[in-house]
Amino acid sequence: MSLSKKSTIIVENLRKKQMMESISTGKRLDERSLDETRPIEIELDVIKKASGSAWVKLGKTEVVAGVKVETGEPFEGLENSGALIITAEVLPIASPHIEPGPPDEETIELARVVDRGVRQSEMLELSKLVLVPGKIVYTIFVDCSIINVDGNLLDATSYAVVAALASCKLPVFEIKDDKVVDTGRTQEPPITTIPVSVTTVKIGDYLLLDPNIEEEACMDARLTITTNSKGSIVAMQKGLKGYFTVDEVKSIAVKAISKGEEIGAKLKELIYHGKKE
Amino acid sequence: MVQNRSLIDESGKRSDGRIIDELREVKINVGIIKNADGSALIEFGKNKIIAAVYGPREVHPKHMALSDRCVVRCRYHMSPFSTDTRKSPAPSRRETEISKVIREALEPALILEDYPRAAIDIFIEVLQADGGSRCAGITAASVALADAGINMRDMVSACAAGKVDDKIVIDINDTEDKEGGADMPVAYMPNLKKITLLQLDGELNSNEFNTCLEEAIRGCLKVFEIQRSSLIEKYFGDEKGLNE
Amino acid sequence: MQEVKRKYVIPGDIVAEGNLKPLVNVYRHGNLIVATRIGITESNKDGAKVIPLSGIYFPRANDIVIGKILDHSSLSWSVDINSCFNAHLPAQDIFGRDFSPAHDDMGSQLLKGDVIVARIAIFDRTRDPILTIQDKDLGKIPTGELIKISPTRVPRLIGKRGSMIQTIEQASSTRITIGQNGIIVVSGKDKEGINLAINAIHIVEVEAHTSNLTQRIKQLLNVPESEIENDDTKRNHEINDTEINDDKVISNKIDKEMGMMNSNGTK
Repeated sequence: MSLSKKSTIIVENLRKKQMMESISTGKRLDERSLDETRPIEIELDVIKKASGSAWVKLGKTEVVAGVKVETGEPFEGLENSGALIITAEVLPIASPHIEPGPPDEETIELARVVDRGVRQSEMLELSKLVLVPGKIVYTIFVDCSIINVDGNLLDATSYAVVAALASCKLPVFEIKDDKVVDTGRTQEPPITTIPVSVTTVKIGDYLLLDPNIEEEACMDARLTITTNSKGSIVAMQKGLKGYFTVDEVKSIAVKAISKGEEIGAKLKELIYHGKKE
Repeated sequence: MVQNRSLIDESGKRSDGRIIDELREVKINVGIIKNADGSALIEFGKNKIIAAVYGPREVHPKHMALSDRCVVRCRYHMSPFSTDTRKSPAPSRRETEISKVIREALEPALILEDYPRAAIDIFIEVLQADGGSRCAGITAASVALADAGINMRDMVSACAAGKVDDKIVIDINDTEDKEGGADMPVAYMPNLKKITLLQLDGELNSNEFNTCLEEAIRGCLKVFEIQRSSLIEKYFGDEKGLNE
Repeated sequence: MQEVKRKYVIPGDIVAEGNLKPLVNVYRHGNLIVATRIGITESNKDGAKVIPLSGIYFPRANDIVIGKILDHSSLSWSVDINSCFNAHLPAQDIFGRDFSPAHDDMGSQLLKGDVIVARIAIFDRTRDPILTIQDKDLGKIPTGELIKISPTRVPRLIGKRGSMIQTIEQASSTRITIGQNGIIVVSGKDKEGINLAINAIHIVEVEAHTSNLTQRIKQLLNVPESEIENDDTKRNHEINDTEINDDKVISNKIDKEMGMMNSNGTK
């Protein structure tokens, strides 16, 4: 059951006024233009015990993602595919407004939207991760720990999952005497595309990309769009209790595709440049 | 606990190349979580742990507040990717016990009467674990508490010692923890010289116990030096001249 | 004037030995005075204390704070004062003793999100702080740029008898309202002046514990040479801030008597 909540963060009227005055001149309070995203920093292989990992900073929002690989049964109806499971947790260290406990509806939505974007883009060719069709497949877990909240967890978490998966070294399993054996060798993951998540929010009549925490506290509606390397849209999610007009949605989609290309190139540079070192 | 194989080779090197009285490398980065009132990232060998402190702050729910002192909440939690085998995100009994002993290791150092009706929240997140994570967590939490400006009687420094191949060694790693003869984590207030955490898993005779305890405390004092230098560096940077 | 010895300390470090009086952020342990926080020590014949460099704002009676309205019950507004407790502003403070929710509309005075500068009228160990805006220069702040700094740097930002903040105000043609809780509102006619003031404030925050800070700030603000005094002679006063802290010490004494201030002796 979902319940509308009292807002946890109240922005001072002074700041809101400052924000709207600034936005109407095309600049935000942190000096960005309305369609400018914050710098992305990625550090790879930060968790040596994981098959792959990434520590992503999107402005001050920080997410750590780790890839762990096991073997198990395939999902029902997907007997010839490896299993991919993506989870996310906003840790209580990340913000004064988090209460420790099981994930709330926002965190669950976050994990599912990120999962949808990665899965629908077919970033990982899951058909290549089968050991015994219908019985034993690779099970790939990507778990995300959000460690500092400064807005736009959706995009930051998505970049962390993408970076961890694209840079991981999968173990090579084999069947020997009817048992699954870890050969000790590793293999490159079968990556087909780099999906890019781009989140737009509406504040008053203005559309802004990559909101920080203060902008999120003032937003009326949010639209997250994930695109693949071909420029096609693979996932979308509207959030919050405000609304978009048809024109707004169309223009957001156009922007998401072009931004997706720009950020995709940036992600590739950060992931593969880091990998070659 | 009886060992199955030798964990120290002929030249006296342990499974990770150390000798028996050598600590793993420790690095502490103060103030890593910008939203927290105080925080620290510790790398203790392969352990990678973040401690963050929020407090003093309002108690939720309000009826849990105490009239004469603050409430301390402590949570030790491991990320699913932190261990060799993936761990389910749900809290385990081990994490619950460790949360309790860590709280009881840190509380003696806090001057709780200064903050009536408030709460101090200590969150320890293990990003990677490799033996001794509770000691590393306590060490980081103490730095985070100081970073948060919470009134403390003393810092709390922690280190484990144990028995491996019938020898007392300092700072047990993961392999030694799983396969060795005994593991004794200790937390210690270095100036007041008081022990605030003491656990033992394994078998030690009376002499071994005394040596093990002394080694663990020696480790705590070494860890304390790193806590202090990391705080001095963050707060006083180049102005160290004041202490001369 | 007695030589003041200063040290950098972390919790547990020795501040002084002997019969000195423990003041704030220290406690007595046998013959030693021990620090309870990270900061800079100060010991002289009046006692020993630590000037803290970190920590959230803990309320004190009579402090001036800047807060934001969160909500209201039928009798008071709840106000976020950037501290571990929310404060309350009684409706009677504005409407008078005849206030009645039936005919007085609280929303006509203050709304959620409004920013006010207030004084903590009452605070003790048993309840949340109670505010008043009845004194001169208190009340709602309608415009200005709002920024936050660590509350431990506020005394340095104010300066000896207000000297630092006045220097910044005059050089940038702005009016700066400072809350002891680390919230600051800068208002002025032009953006450049406001940005200059905000810049200066951030530098003071980061370098509060260093020497020659006043000189560097004056240089940043292009204050004429003739007004930059020889800072070396002022060094002790600068880092000392005893006058500001003396007020703090006195209110601390009162607070301690009321049973609420920092550790000041062994249990």
